[in-house]
Amino acid sequence: MPEVRLVDLQKEYPGVIAVKNVSITFSTAAVTCLLGPSGCGKTTMMRIIAGLESPTAGDVFFDDHRITDLPARKRKIGMVFQYPVVYRSISVYRNIELPLLEEKLSTSERKQRIRQVIDILGLEDSVEKEISQLDSGTRQKVAIARTVARQPAVILFDEPITNVDAEAKVQLKRALKELTRQLQQTIIYVTHDQTEAMTLADQIALMKEGEIVQLDAPRKLYNRPDDVFGGWFLGNPGMNFFEHQVVALDGGLGLKSPLFPEPLKISGLNGQDRLTIGIRPEHVRLGHKSSNMAVKGRVQRKFIVVGGFYLVSIAMGDKIIKVKVDPALGGRIEDEIWVECPLDWITLFGPDGRRLKATLSV
Amino acid sequence: MNAIELQGIAKKYGRTRILKDLNLSVEAGTFTVVFGLPACGKSVLVRLLTGLEKPNAGRILLRGNEATGLDSGGRNIGYVPQSFALYPHFSAHDNISYPLDLIKFPKSQIEQAVKQIAEQLKIDHLLNKHPDQLSGGEKQRVALARGVVKQTDIYILDDPLVGLDFKLREQMFDDLKQMQQSLAATFLFTTSDPLEALALADSVAVLDGGRIVETGDLEALYRRPAHITTMALLGFPPSNQFGGQLFSRADQQWCRTGLFELPVNMAPSTDLPAEGSHVRVVVRPEDIRLNPDPDGLLTCQAQVVLLEDLGGEVIVYLEVNEEPLVTVVSHSDADFFSSDHVTVGVRASSAVLFNIETGLRIGQGAE
Repeated sequence: MPEVRLVDLQKEYPGVIAVKNVSITFSTAAVTCLLGPSGCGKTTMMRIIAGLESPTAGDVFFDDHRITDLPARKRKIGMVFQYPVVYRSISVYRNIELPLLEEKLSTSERKQRIRQVIDILGLEDSVEKEISQLDSGTRQKVAIARTVARQPAVILFDEPITNVDAEAKVQLKRALKELTRQLQQTIIYVTHDQTEAMTLADQIALMKEGEIVQLDAPRKLYNRPDDVFGGWFLGNPGMNFFEHQVVALDGGLGLKSPLFPEPLKISGLNGQDRLTIGIRPEHVRLGHKSSNMAVKGRVQRKFIVVGGFYLVSIAMGDKIIKVKVDPALGGRIEDEIWVECPLDWITLFGPDGRRLKATLSV
Repeated sequence: MNAIELQGIAKKYGRTRILKDLNLSVEAGTFTVVFGLPACGKSVLVRLLTGLEKPNAGRILLRGNEATGLDSGGRNIGYVPQSFALYPHFSAHDNISYPLDLIKFPKSQIEQAVKQIAEQLKIDHLLNKHPDQLSGGEKQRVALARGVVKQTDIYILDDPLVGLDFKLREQMFDDLKQMQQSLAATFLFTTSDPLEALALADSVAVLDGGRIVETGDLEALYRRPAHITTMALLGFPPSNQFGGQLFSRADQQWCRTGLFELPVNMAPSTDLPAEGSHVRVVVRPEDIRLNPDPDGLLTCQAQVVLLEDLGGEVIVYLEVNEEPLVTVVSHSDADFFSSDHVTVGVRASSAVLFNIETGLRIGQGAE
């Protein structure tokens, strides 16, 4: 199984640069999700890896082999698309078997491969059924089985869950999770859905406007985004952001914010005169009692979100902060509440939107 | 005062009865969400309200006045349709001004109204563009602007956020709520998405089987639903449902499910169901606890089948004796169970019993 490397990759269309000078390595035996909003260049990048598009500049390597000019069919790549590629009028078994007939395999090897993917994807009950009898999720499983059974060197998934019914989505995610765990293959998975990426990926490459903003493990990306964009895009809702002027404080630098009872010191700045504080809604603490870092806020609105948690909007001076709290506390919150933003959970961003190495202290 | 009142509304197409004896009162100045599964008749209801179609039976009152026979033009309501339905050959500006052009509003006032609403929805830089030059989210904003540009006191929004990606929806929640408050108008909004209903509604009307099965203040409905559809679907993820059977033991009524047996209190108003009656038992995801202190809880062993990471929370999909079960934990609590097996704990009082035939609440687990 090769590692996939893109080096200085660029793709231009008339009037638009879809992929901007991207260099990235997709590790072997890992699932890397290309995550970003529509139009960020993730699908173009996947198509270049598959050989369905040529880059304007830069190269694609599988391990040390430069394959930039190799035709798609010679790349040993398997692809799964948004809509399942299956034959409607034949059985699930035959659907999986057909692509294998083109490979030089012994009958027992072929049967063994089919059995293996049927097992992993939980298709036992559907083996003899025709595709037209299956729900959208199971059809997609068959499309995945067809791709995987060929044992390609690299598997590319292009939003395979997007068009599956809500109830079947969980089953499909479960099957994908099991599949990737057992295959230990180089898998590149394109999605716009952060939950899918956070659930399935070993690594997420977060994309924005043709560039990779950050490549990291899901939790690291979520908790410590390198860019304002990662703070905003991940999470529902994303981070709270508050812009502040850097001021002189006790012979050093600091900031005054309605989020804190006292001005805070800043160390590690590199000449910036403004910065942005980022904090996730679930990392803010609310309480009915004061503490030395808490400030009183006025509840503007609250409503129930996923799992009975509450999202509470609280006015603090001229700022509004969104806070997510558990069902028990959320139900009891009234007009006024103490709000604490733990310094450990604050990420600082510079005027260019990139994370600063600076820290806040009392 | 009620801005909208529907009395005994029925609507059928051929032999298919879509709405049957539907009653609904919408208080003026509220954000009311009509919530129901896809294809439950929400859009038909909207077509009756906007005057695009007439009911087969029943009365529609707007602002306390009879409106059943009025045409769309005579109802003086704003309308945001489900699909953007923008005119492709008009600019965003002309799409927005269209409802005002129709009623021959003075030109100078049209300009001012379009400018004001465009600024409010942050689309003033898009006014000269045509729909094919706009993204999905921008089109939705233009459609919304067109729906509310006509200054009135009742607006109907037919599932306007469906298909938008969730980051856009997040922003639209705030925009819609602010808009309703600044207009101080009545918003009637339909959706099949529970998170939209929860984020937007002051009050909710649950549409199921062609009728409004339950209506009221959102939080009250969430806390104490009277109908199984409300409890099962108004919330995300959907609630856990099990089949149950009633039996007596030592002068106490009990219910047996595939997971556990629990003592139950039946509502005094209901006819006491017979021994052996089948019921539906529903438990909200947040009432399923993992590896809890078992004291006072009903417990059983479950297999973890998938952890779905939302960032701040984790949806935990479980299986107990092949019955699916779902719960949500905050991320900080999720790290501790790396094993595939967990103990599930439920407080008996969080299990609610519903009549299988009527869908009405008939009892609750007893502590």
